Amino acid sequence: MGLREYINDIVEAVVTTVKGMRITARYGIDAREEVTQQYPEERRETDERFRGFLLNDIARCTSCTMCVKVCPVDCISLEAVRGADKKMVLVSYDINIMRCMYCGLCVEVCPPKSLVHTGGYEKALFNRGDFTLHFVHEDAAGIKARVAKQVAEAAAKAAEAAKAAEAAKPEPEKKA
Amino acid sequence: MEVLARSLISAFPVISGVPLWAVTLLIMVVVAAILLVFFLTFGGLGSYVLRKVAGDIQVRIGPNRVGPYGILQFLADGAKLILKEDIIPAKADRFLFVLAPYLVFIGSFSAFVVVPFGVGLIAADLNIGVYYVMAVTSLVVIGILMAGWASNNKWALLGGMRAVAQIVSYEIPVAMALLPAVLIAGSLSLQDIVRSQGGLVGIFGWNLFHNPFTFFSFFLYLTAGQAETNQTPFDLPEAESELVSGYNVEYSGIRYAFFFLAEFGDMFVVAALASACFLGGWHVPFFRAEALPSLWGNLLSLGAFLAKAFGLVLVMMWVRWTLPRLRVDQLMRMSWKYLVPLTFVNLLGVSLWLLVFKGKGIPQLIASIFTG
Amino acid sequence: MKPNVPVEALHTQEMLINMGPQHPSTHGVLRVILRTDGEVVVNARPDVGYLHRGLEKIGERVTYAQFMPFTDRLDYLAAMNCNCAWAWAVENLAGIEVPERAEYIRVIVCELNRISSHLIAFGSFTADMGAFTPFLYSIREREKVNDLFEAACGNRLTYNYARVGGVSADLPQGFLEKTKEFLDYFEPKIDEYNNLISYNKIFVHRLANVAAISADNAVAYGLTGPNLRGSGVSFDLRRDEPYSVYPKLEFDVCVGTGERGVLGDCFDRYMVRINEMRQSVRILRQAVAQIPEGPVLAKVPRVFKPAAGEVYFRSECPRGETGFYIISDGTGNPSRLKIRAGSFVTMNIFETVTRGLMIADIVAVIGSFDIILPEIDR
Repeated sequence: MGLREYINDIVEAVVTTVKGMRITARYGIDAREEVTQQYPEERRETDERFRGFLLNDIARCTSCTMCVKVCPVDCISLEAVRGADKKMVLVSYDINIMRCMYCGLCVEVCPPKSLVHTGGYEKALFNRGDFTLHFVHEDAAGIKARVAKQVAEAAAKAAEAAKAAEAAKPEPEKKA
Repeated sequence: MEVLARSLISAFPVISGVPLWAVTLLIMVVVAAILLVFFLTFGGLGSYVLRKVAGDIQVRIGPNRVGPYGILQFLADGAKLILKEDIIPAKADRFLFVLAPYLVFIGSFSAFVVVPFGVGLIAADLNIGVYYVMAVTSLVVIGILMAGWASNNKWALLGGMRAVAQIVSYEIPVAMALLPAVLIAGSLSLQDIVRSQGGLVGIFGWNLFHNPFTFFSFFLYLTAGQAETNQTPFDLPEAESELVSGYNVEYSGIRYAFFFLAEFGDMFVVAALASACFLGGWHVPFFRAEALPSLWGNLLSLGAFLAKAFGLVLVMMWVRWTLPRLRVDQLMRMSWKYLVPLTFVNLLGVSLWLLVFKGKGIPQLIASIFTG
Repeated sequence: MKPNVPVEALHTQEMLINMGPQHPSTHGVLRVILRTDGEVVVNARPDVGYLHRGLEKIGERVTYAQFMPFTDRLDYLAAMNCNCAWAWAVENLAGIEVPERAEYIRVIVCELNRISSHLIAFGSFTADMGAFTPFLYSIREREKVNDLFEAACGNRLTYNYARVGGVSADLPQGFLEKTKEFLDYFEPKIDEYNNLISYNKIFVHRLANVAAISADNAVAYGLTGPNLRGSGVSFDLRRDEPYSVYPKLEFDVCVGTGERGVLGDCFDRYMVRINEMRQSVRILRQAVAQIPEGPVLAKVPRVFKPAAGEVYFRSECPRGETGFYIISDGTGNPSRLKIRAGSFVTMNIFETVTRGLMIADIVAVIGSFDIILPEIDR
């Protein structure tokens, strides 16, 4: 290569190096440029729409199973029995947050809006089994027994009421 | 050393019964220990500063958890490395694998013998100072090649081969870039080189301003020195993202620490030589350190020297975090086609200058105009 | 002393190096089997499949709406683009009309995601080349984009924002202002990157004249996106097969010019990405100004069963053309779903183009192709 190209190479190398070094020097000297957030002392405020761990308000849940059906990875499981007033009573509601992919489809589709995302994203546990969150805290067998009793009572009452209504009915043939 | 031994014996008559060679040996061991402590401390604190500088440039904070401002980070790293399991790969060549880190360490540490720390602070003022440094730092090459080969790992081998090619090629510009300083001082001894820059007051005695050729020589030396110490943009042998750490990929624990410390030691040697040969060494601007009583003169000159050397180390770190890596053939090309011819031309230029101007530099010429 | 290995058995010619699934520079779990003669590569064969998760099979099992979160994980750095591509494909299949505000929102998030994807491409590429600093700068910019996305949809990486018929939620208050702020902050940064690293002599030397792909080859091997445009072929789906509201937006198609080295080399592909970031800023400014009011989700039946048929829809994602070929049999789940990913097709040319390069150049080639493994392996 010619002498001119040679000198050009050297000059270009020096010039571009100095340009780059000026930029890094500026960052190096200016201490305000640090963008590190010192976790865990400084925690980001998660946005209000942040899709963290799921939380189901059992009091509002109607056991419609929409969330179970829409979940792409089948991480929600619920069991419900029909109660005395014909409404479903939730026996158990579990979410496996290891399988959950925090897509938000279940929250979107929940009719009574009882299932919501919280802002939580930190959970480290020692057992795999601990990652299944149970939202119904009463024992399942206990709930089933209670509901069965209520249904039986209601059925008994209804039978009694039917018998009483039957007895109170006037004889149609007597009238002519 | 012997002089110091004699003066010690005469100062403390109680040890006059001890033979001279024993006292000399004791002094040598003490000096070596002091240098080793300095080497290790510099390696540790150097790694801390490196990470802090990296953090600053990369808009983040470096280490800041261990100790105030993270200053004890290097102790934690050192402790971790010492406590790690010593893994030697199954099919590795055990003897070479174990020997390699020591060679690299020795190659780096031996150069500290002739580094002029202060007015009278030099372990051994060899009259072949510069030559000795060049010779001894080449031990590093053998160590790295051994490490690459003995690891029984293709990546390590590639790294080792690249490292050899690189270090051997850049030895020449390093040596040639230092020669102008030798020519001006008329001696290979580093203390002589430093003393030769003490004529004029302030920084004008420095070889950097002696003539334009030495000015370029300084930058050529820093570039070649950056390559000698395997820093980016010349860090191919240990290219993290390509060779996954190159020749020291199979090393863990204290063996890895040796390589790591040797790298910092090399950096200090390069910076120390640059400041000794071009930036006036231990001369304090506007001061005659030699005129002060021995203790203060030594301390002051030590401070000045360390400031200059550490400044140059910071510059090397700054360049490291700015530039990308050269490919191996581009690296070779840069050494042989650019640095070597340029250093040759520089040497020629300096020789001609010294001939024409009878050894005087630009500041001296200007001064001689004023003093008639 | 006689050697105990016959000399002929010592293979001194070629080294077989495994640039294994775990490697700092392969942008994921890519395995490249290298045969090298010293430093020069004789053959480099990519071995993919380490991240295969059976996405296409999953597609047959879930409904169209349920597949949306899986498209996030297809190209996770350009998740919005993949989400929207799936949404457009299904809408094409079923003939659904999307409200205009939703289309503008989709374009805004797609272009923002294009910027953040190219930032990662730029950052990781320069980090592979040895300059560790620009990566941190690009991450800093990306965090701002992630903040915008978190405000819009709630997640910072796997967005699941688009829905069949629109987007899941309207943009929050202040989103457009924050986007404008980000654009004003980001545009000068591109010049800073160019000053710092793009035109740095060492960087240029690493990339110029390396792995040049001619325009004919690029078309023949099916390259798309910046890889195709880097070879000088001016083809961009947003302009040549426009979809959504792109016809209303003005932008230039960035093409490689061979400014340093030969046309179609790694440097051209790299510069195409840098310039595309600038064009994305331009598109975003227009979209933010033009976005109308209105609904953001069309009425789509809860149990969505499109008519039987098939559709192939392709959209311009940061890594090339992401296409969805859907065969529907009238039920709620797709009958067959095929994903055409830009990175997968790009790997086709890898073996041809790396012949004769050095090992360090393999890293440059992988980085310049900007591949991402989940897209390759699905």
